[in-house]
Amino acid sequence: MPLVRKPSSQAPAAAPLALGEGTSEQRWSAVRAAADRPDGLALLADALSRESDPRVREAIFTGLARLATPESAALVVPYLRSDDANLRTGAVDALRAMPQACRPHLPTLLADGDADVRLLSCELARGLPDEEANRLLCDLLERETERNVCAAAIEVLAEIGRPEAVPSLVRCGTRFAGDPFMIFSLKVATERIAAPARDRR
Amino acid sequence: MAETASKRILVIDDASLVRRYYRDALERAGFEVDEALNGVEALEKLLAEPADLLIVDVNMPQMDGITFLRSLRRQAPPIASIPALVISTEAGPHDRRAARTAGANFYLVKPVAQDTLVQHVSIMCGLSA
Repeated sequence: MPLVRKPSSQAPAAAPLALGEGTSEQRWSAVRAAADRPDGLALLADALSRESDPRVREAIFTGLARLATPESAALVVPYLRSDDANLRTGAVDALRAMPQACRPHLPTLLADGDADVRLLSCELARGLPDEEANRLLCDLLERETERNVCAAAIEVLAEIGRPEAVPSLVRCGTRFAGDPFMIFSLKVATERIAAPARDRR
Repeated sequence: MAETASKRILVIDDASLVRRYYRDALERAGFEVDEALNGVEALEKLLAEPADLLIVDVNMPQMDGITFLRSLRRQAPPIASIPALVISTEAGPHDRRAARTAGANFYLVKPVAQDTLVQHVSIMCGLSA
């Protein structure tokens, strides 16, 4: 056994301590390296909770999206509630980039007590297989009272909706009968669903 | 109708159904309508061809409406002086103030009826409503 261990060529360039230290450029480099480490998830989670530089935060979200596990998605989910619009956008983009990892969280997110979270989750449902997305969004439309959340669900269903979604859309329309935009949206969505796929636009 | 046909409106909103709703109303009133999905795309389109009026959403990916308006007002004329009608779900006085400060000329809260939209666009284009 050699007394001196040879330096491994696989060793990450940045030490984990640099995640919370140094210039934003150094932290950005450290974050990029952290995603490849076995303990990357814990390192990125810790960094995300403390980081304020938008570019470094973006790199952290990218790193978590690269891991693409239910655990990395779970770390991103709370940031959908952030008051900081950039953090919310970063979280949505990261979750959108890992649709399979995001999948187990969506039923809970679509039933969240915060209407803004439900609204953002409608967009995330677009990444699911069509049948599953239709089922989840129709369930939401049946119970949802917030106009903007319904509008977000209709927006997605207008693109990926299946004929089974039409009854839920019609019932939603009865709740917003006095709202010209909702009436217009529901009409367009049902027309698109009825049209052959090649004619949808 | 002859007056409105010479006016080009750029609708900036990430929701396709919202863009279609505005386009439907404005084209029926005779306006020429173009669309952008966010502030970045809007600036690219305006640099290629200026518009007579902008309809701007606030919450959009890539570049939100407030950032877009700030950037718009820093452009060279005539782009910097294009009037902007912000239409947002955000109804608070802080949101209105932020839009005005960034360069919005008028602020409406969604939902907006189509005839209300045409009326505001006509007035802001200097046409009789």
